[in-house]
Formats: sequence, structure tokens, C-alpha cells
Amino acid sequence: MSGQGKSIWDTLGDIPREVLYGVLLVVFVIPMIYPLGLPVPISANVLKWYKAVEDLPPGAVVMIDFGYSGGGEPELGPMAVAVYHHMLRRGDIKVICMSTSIEGPQLWDKAMAELRPEQRYGAVYGVDYINIGYIAGGETAMAAVGKDLRATTSTDYKGTPLDQYSIMDGIVDAHSFDLLICYTTGGDQSEGWVRQWYTVYGTPYMCSVLAMMVPTMLPYMNAGQIISVTSGAQAGEMEGLVHVPARGIKSADVITLTHMLCVVYVVIGNVAYIAKKFQGGSK
Amino acid sequence: MELDLVIQIWLASLFTIWIYSIAFRDNDFFKFAEYTFVGAAAGHSLVYGVDNLRRYGWDNLMGGAYLYIVVFLLGILLYSRYHPQYFWVSRYPLSIMVGIGIGLSMRAVVTAEFIAQIKSTAGIKLIGVSDPITLLSNLIFIILVVTTVYFFLFTFPKSHEGGLSIIPRIARYGMMAAFSYSFANTVLSRYNMIFGRLDYIYNQWLPLPGAIIALPVALILLIYAMLPPEKRPWPKKQ
Repeated sequence: MSGQGKSIWDTLGDIPREVLYGVLLVVFVIPMIYPLGLPVPISANVLKWYKAVEDLPPGAVVMIDFGYSGGGEPELGPMAVAVYHHMLRRGDIKVICMSTSIEGPQLWDKAMAELRPEQRYGAVYGVDYINIGYIAGGETAMAAVGKDLRATTSTDYKGTPLDQYSIMDGIVDAHSFDLLICYTTGGDQSEGWVRQWYTVYGTPYMCSVLAMMVPTMLPYMNAGQIISVTSGAQAGEMEGLVHVPARGIKSADVITLTHMLCVVYVVIGNVAYIAKKFQGGSK
Repeated sequence: MELDLVIQIWLASLFTIWIYSIAFRDNDFFKFAEYTFVGAAAGHSLVYGVDNLRRYGWDNLMGGAYLYIVVFLLGILLYSRYHPQYFWVSRYPLSIMVGIGIGLSMRAVVTAEFIAQIKSTAGIKLIGVSDPITLLSNLIFIILVVTTVYFFLFTFPKSHEGGLSIIPRIARYGMMAAFSYSFANTVLSRYNMIFGRLDYIYNQWLPLPGAIIALPVALILLIYAMLPPEKRPWPKKQ
């Protein structure tokens, strides 16, 4: 091609990244300002998750692992908040939270600020819900909490002794829990809980992970080791089910349009590539 | 709104803009945000590290669990790796940590990741399935499991040649489809993260007083920082 002008296919095949990202940014911003209200159909896994919480007996105790990092908050945060809404609205479920991620306690605080359990549901910290904080050690921590929770940590995330909270009465080990939920950005955590709790104690387990981790986790669900695997991107579906529209539903328009743009980019790149190949071959 | 929350929202929003600016071009604002993040993350980990020592070690030791002295000693020995002569001592606590980690994983890994998965795959039915979509799905699943396992039989090179080469080829298409699924999900994750940050800027930061003026100023400064020094309108190079 030296000495010749660039053809239209060369231009299309070599669009500067600034232009691609610029157009992407515009497609992100427009539906945020002018929402389209695209429908959010409920998928089978989210329905299964919802049903698992709905079927919990009165007085059930749920362990939640806030195992995600700050980078994963925009995706997993809305799902965590929507599921908390579901459980606290029932009013007869006790929720104990821990973190296998070092940033977990701060992200839990952020979720509670959004949830406002006291004002909205009359839920009381230490009676209906609690956070026992970050427990170091990854899979070792999961095993230790499953074996003897009090021996692993004797205080909540604020440093107050667990004995002062009525929610902790009768909580000993993994057998004290009716359900385990994990939100995580790390495969070690989502798979670690299968190994350390489901396999050893048979605790029913569900996890919500980054969308990119879903293919890794699906075999566990197919084998019956996990009740339901969802991605944080499905938070809109959960918000629809629990009738608390928030960030998840708002993202539906944006995600749909940006993915359509992504397909357009792929088509342009491939058409340019094939056309250039065809031109080269015809010479 | 409380002042500390306002400061938090301003910083979070500006750092979001600065970090995402790398998508367009490298610039000093991005570098500043990147280095600040690394420093803050290291500080955060350090504080939690000290807190963990107190919470899981020191408090127990003070409570009469004197065996924790062994744990502290092992922890201190880890730092011998920085000594040129006695670095080998650090191998002992490290080997204990690795041993415990492997032991904990191994107690369940065979059941969780081999037996359960094999049982699940072996339980897939082809006969007696009335739904044609499920039947097709099961058939594809079985073909891809068998061909993919075959793909990784490297001991017999001839098993990948001649008429048998169709088997690893089917496996390759199957794996490419699986990788595409993962990659598409990665795009979804990334877009969700961008949306989360843009939503934060739009709904948390921009409604604050002064933010609507600060946004264009921040963008102009960013564009200026992205320009090569010789193209900057000011200051003119001598």
C-alpha cells in the first residue's frame, strides 16, 4: 500500500482508540440522562436465588461473605443490597456477615448506608444483622469459621464482643447456618466456600460473582454444589423481584446499548479485515 | 450532607475521571491517581495487618493462650528472608503455611472438584429426554467433554493425526466457544464497572454545589495534560 492513499477499509480497520472510547462514553452517558426503560426479564438463576431465600424457614440464619474488592463494587454492590432488602423485608431471617476481602467491611458499610436497615425495616444491629468483620487467611479463614466461629473471632467489626449481641446466641459453627451467600471478585473465595463449607458441612450455598467468573462457577451449580450462581450484572433482575429499583435496573439501558455498540465495533473490524483481504487477493 | 462525605465524593469522582483518562492517553493526572491508589492500598493493608495481629494473635495471647507464642515466633522467622546469611530459616514457617493450605484444600478438593463433577457429567441423559432443546444441549455437552479430554492426550502424538484429527478439532471449536463466552462476560463486567462509576459521578457528585463547574475545568485540564509538551498552547517553549 506504500505510496497509495488509505482506502476506506484501512481507515475502518484502524480507527484510533480515542474515537472508539469517545463514542462508547457518549453511548454510556446518553441513556443515563434520558433512560429508555428497556425491560429486564428475570433469568432462571436469579429466580432460583430468590426462591431459595423465600423458602428459608422463620428464624433462619444466613452467613454472607462480603468478599469483593472496591473494583468490583459497581457490579456486586447492587446485588448485595438487593438481596439484603429481600432478607430484611421478611423480618424473620438473621443475617451474619463476614469478609474474606480486606476491603469488605468498608464496602459493607457502604451497602448499609444505601440500605438503611433501621429506618426502612426497623432492623436492629446485633439483633437482626451483624458484621463480624474481615477474617484473614482466605480458605483457612473459611475452614476456621466453619469449625468454630467464636474461636476465630470474638468481636464484631467494631471490636465489640460478640457475646453482647443476641443474634450470636447459639451460633457455633457451620451447622448453625441455614444458608451461605458469597459475593466475591475472586475465584479462590467462591470455590473455597464449596470446598470448606458445602463439601464438609453440606451448608446450602449461593454465590454472586463478577460476570467473567460465571463460566467457572457454573459446573459447581450443575453438580448441585451451589443452589444458584448469578453475576452482579443481574442485580437489576433481583431489584425487580424484590421491588426495590436501584442501580441494577438503571444499568439495563446502558449495558444493552453499549453491548450493541460493541457488536457494531466487532462487525466493522471484521468487515474491514475481510474487505482488505479480498482487495489484496484480487490484485 | 456532612463535610467528610462531601470531600469523599469529590475525591472519589475526580480520581475516577483521572484513572479512566488512560483510555484516551497517558497523562500526569492518571499517574498521580495511580500512585495515590497504590500508596493508599498499601497503607490500608498495613493497618489491617497490624489489626489482624492484635485481633487474632495478641488478644488471644493476652487471654492466656500461650501457644500463640509459637505462632508469633514463626511469623517473625518469615522476615529472616531479608538476611543474606539466615534467609533459609524463613523456609520453615513458609513450609508450615504451605502445608496447612494444601492440607485444608485437599480434604475437600477430591470430592468437590473431581467426584462431584464427574458424577454430574455422568448423570447427563440422552435417553428419555422429551424436550428436544435439552436433548441437543446434553448431546453437545457430552461430545465436547469427550473431545476436550481427548484433546489433552499428548502422550500418543498419532492420536491427533489423520482421520482422528477431527476429534481435537471439535474440541478446539468447543473451547473457543467457551473462551468467547468468558470474554463476553468480561466485557459485561467491565461495562458494569464503568457504569457504576459514571452513575456515581452523575448522581452523587454533579448534584453537589460547584461540581457542575468543576467537571469541565477538570476535563480541560485533562485534555491539556494529554497534549505533548510541544503542542501545548501555554507555556510556550523558549
